[in-house]
Amino acid sequence: MKRALHLLLALTMTAALAACSSGNNGGGTDSGNNTASSSPTASETTGEATKATPKKVELKVFMSFPRFKDQFENYFAQFKEKELAEKNIDVSIQLEMPNADQAKQILQSRLSSGDAPDLYTLHANDIPTYFDAGYVADLTGQPFVGKLYEAVTETVKYDGKVAALPLESLSWGYLYNKKIFADNGLTPPQTLDEMKAAAEKLQSAGVKPFLLAFQESWIPQLMMALSLGGTVSSAHPDWIEKMNAGEASYADVRSVFDSIDLIMANGTDKPFETGNEAGSAEFANGGAAMWVQGPWNAETILKVNPSMEFGVAPLPVSNNPEDTMINLATSTSLALSPTSANKEVALDLLNYILDDKDSSALFEELKFNPIATVHTYEVFPWVNEASEYVSKGKAYLDLKLPNGVTDETAKLLQSYYAKDVTQDDIIASLDKVWRTSVSSN
Amino acid sequence: MATTRSWKKHAMLLAFVFPALLFYIAFTLAPAFGGIAYSLTDWNGLNPAYRIVGLANYIEAMNDRFFLKSLAFTAKFVLYMLVLQNALAILLAVLVEAMGRSKVWFRTIFFMPNMLSLIIGGFMWMFIFTRVFPYLADQTGWRLLDQSWIGDPRYSFFAILALSLWGGVGYLMVIYIAALQGVPQHLKEAAAMDGAGPLAIFRHVTLPMIYPALTIGVFLTLNASFKAFDAVYSLTGGGPGRATQVIALNIFEEAFSFSNRYGYASAKAMILFGIVVVITIIQLAIMKRREVQA
Amino acid sequence: MNRLGGRLGSWTALLFLLAAAVVTLFPIYMALLNSVKTQGEMLTNILALPSSLEVGNYADAFRKINYFRSLWNTFVVVAVGLAGIILFASMAGYKLSRTPGKLSGFLFGLLVMSTLIPFHSIMITLVKISKELRLQGSAVGLGLLYIGLGVAVAVFLYHGFVKSVPKELDEAAVIDGCGEFRLFFTVILPLLLPITATIAILNTLWMWNDFLLPLLILTDYKSYTLLLSTNMLFGEYNNDWSAILASLVLAMLPVIALYLALQKYILHGIAEGAIKA
Repeated sequence: MKRALHLLLALTMTAALAACSSGNNGGGTDSGNNTASSSPTASETTGEATKATPKKVELKVFMSFPRFKDQFENYFAQFKEKELAEKNIDVSIQLEMPNADQAKQILQSRLSSGDAPDLYTLHANDIPTYFDAGYVADLTGQPFVGKLYEAVTETVKYDGKVAALPLESLSWGYLYNKKIFADNGLTPPQTLDEMKAAAEKLQSAGVKPFLLAFQESWIPQLMMALSLGGTVSSAHPDWIEKMNAGEASYADVRSVFDSIDLIMANGTDKPFETGNEAGSAEFANGGAAMWVQGPWNAETILKVNPSMEFGVAPLPVSNNPEDTMINLATSTSLALSPTSANKEVALDLLNYILDDKDSSALFEELKFNPIATVHTYEVFPWVNEASEYVSKGKAYLDLKLPNGVTDETAKLLQSYYAKDVTQDDIIASLDKVWRTSVSSN
Repeated sequence: MATTRSWKKHAMLLAFVFPALLFYIAFTLAPAFGGIAYSLTDWNGLNPAYRIVGLANYIEAMNDRFFLKSLAFTAKFVLYMLVLQNALAILLAVLVEAMGRSKVWFRTIFFMPNMLSLIIGGFMWMFIFTRVFPYLADQTGWRLLDQSWIGDPRYSFFAILALSLWGGVGYLMVIYIAALQGVPQHLKEAAAMDGAGPLAIFRHVTLPMIYPALTIGVFLTLNASFKAFDAVYSLTGGGPGRATQVIALNIFEEAFSFSNRYGYASAKAMILFGIVVVITIIQLAIMKRREVQA
Repeated sequence: MNRLGGRLGSWTALLFLLAAAVVTLFPIYMALLNSVKTQGEMLTNILALPSSLEVGNYADAFRKINYFRSLWNTFVVVAVGLAGIILFASMAGYKLSRTPGKLSGFLFGLLVMSTLIPFHSIMITLVKISKELRLQGSAVGLGLLYIGLGVAVAVFLYHGFVKSVPKELDEAAVIDGCGEFRLFFTVILPLLLPITATIAILNTLWMWNDFLLPLLILTDYKSYTLLLSTNMLFGEYNNDWSAILASLVLAMLPVIALYLALQKYILHGIAEGAIKA
């Protein structure tokens, strides 16, 4: 026994030493330590000598969707071929793919400790905070910008500059079950009163009007995103500016609670036991007529019931039908770090994402909405439905709130349903978080 | 002569301790001071620029309604864990020891949850609370099972408690088993001959003899429960809203979600550290003294 | 002794233990059971036995989390961490125990104090330091960090256990002309085997199941540990449960094997170390 343990110890030490020196396995040992090192080889001549040794460049890419690992690996392989052929640069890409839940913390730790990835995914709403902190490079004038749809470009602009490349762009409101609506003779309500009437009609027909899935706090927060977005965009256009200057309060837009209260009062049971997956299953199986969720959930819903037909409609926020609009947002976008040591190659990769030839296939595979003129694939019916509203001008850009306000809203709305906090509590809390966030930047 | 001997002794001591100390200072102590330094600023975890605000964070923490609530909630959790975890561990230890050859099996079984990450355990228990319980309630008609174990703060507290106990009792049980094995058999037999029943034997013979283990058990439980994170994170995420938010979670969210007030969160972490230190010192002082007496 | 009462007592005891065992094993059984079902089956009836054993889930999980690579990464981290912790802590614990005095007391206190420090307060600075020292991005680097984080508790345990090794041995060896270091490695360390085994299993469990630190340090998904790779299966909007559960089972196996191998020592080790402290 003693001997066995000695042996084990000796083995582990040798193994450790071996792992140290050979610097292989599990990737990212030596290569990971040199931040994007480019070792210029003997040939400084780029391109002339046909047999010149390619320049080696390493890029660190951070993307928070592990479910697309394979797709991006393939796409990057295509990029590598292209770079090698066109510019004689051998690119190796170190891809970090954390889960969306932890992505933010990891990204922040990296950025604040000076370990910024060359390219990283960022939620478009966070662009202001990160830009002000100096972590986002200005991309105005890049080739890809010209290919983007104008509305989409607006979502990634800050201070007049294009700050990131949009990836996931959506038009959303709430989802509704087409069959249930048809069975009950309903069309998407355009005012709050109409919505109330619709809810009553559904209740008396024994159908739950709204699906409530509050276990994951980002879902209840969507209600605020829509009601605040709609209210501010229609009736209080300079509210955000005033809030940033400390001259306004959530009390000014108290009416946002009207739609929220309506939804909460007409919803399914046990919302805190229902996560996104369970909620999707319930919705797909006709558990409720409407769900404040976005088309990004399409895959999950269709997985449960592939024949389910749902539509996208704008959420009424008042009794003025003009205020009922679709929310146009970009969730995930790709940003470039200004401290990247290989800006040129990183920019090449960035622009390649919207490549004239290959981008369409990529976006189709990822099931993202088309965002540029180079995208020529077929889209889902609900995308068209939402786009109709947009083309009629019944849309607004998703609001850019200060860092932390969205998270706080998410928590507070959960507490609100549980009757732990009142409307006034929420107003006071959100005002405070807004103030603190603005001042600490 | 004596001085050179003690010099050599000290040199030897430092030589042996050096490697451990080096790593410790580099990776635990230095970061800890870093944490203290940040707690005196208003750093938002992102922006390279920040201001020194001195003790403002600490003062704010004392008035932070959610922080104080999480303190109270954690205290309640700690109390329940303290009593339940140790009582259960001792009970299991006594019973397992009384078994014959099945001892080894039982020990392994009860230690198993300890081998898993509480985050994983959390997911498994989440299944049980949200799917299995309602199903069982339907089958058996036992209404108690059909509650909103995760969503209703009154019940989610017990869900978190159950998960933490499941994951932690095994470890303490092993300590108590070891302690029990150190209780001389003849003492117990003598007491039995004097007419004492098993319960009385336990109270007057066994318990005092395993007191040192009790000190350790209480120390470990206090330490771990104050810093409890994994169990709550995976089961309720502190929700709904902040209903089940323990301190560690409050600090974590303050630092990485919301307004990312890393400086502020560090101050709160320091306060947590302070509380744990004070309570631990008190606990050890009290129990060590009683140990000597017993 | 009341014979009847004794028998009845031991039957209730057994029953209670069995009930407790069922409760303890239930979640693990659930994970195992559902890991061989299809995802649809699992969502409809979670308690039912599978209609057919979907062993394919395991092959699927194997591939998705790249089992062998993740396993290797985890192994490297643990091996480096353990080697450092055992070596350095045993040296420190031994000497601290044998050398009473103020310096010794101070150093010991300094080390033990670390158990109270919450991880979140040292997290970011730790990441910064690891970056400066180029430890970031590698499993070996992560292992080195764990040494620093885990050495304190191990010192505590060694310190207590060493008391059970008679001082006469030290003196006898010195008389035989043994230098301090040789004395330690050839005589003392082998005698510390039980507590070493305990420290090995406890730290292995910790490093194997740790989540946050590896997440911050390992910047390439190819260097992820088992738990991190499994975490990638948790999607943003839905989860790949069949693969997740199979992965969890696969991840548990090595640890359970290690535990069963070192079982004997763990009991003794925890006892000696904890109680003697």
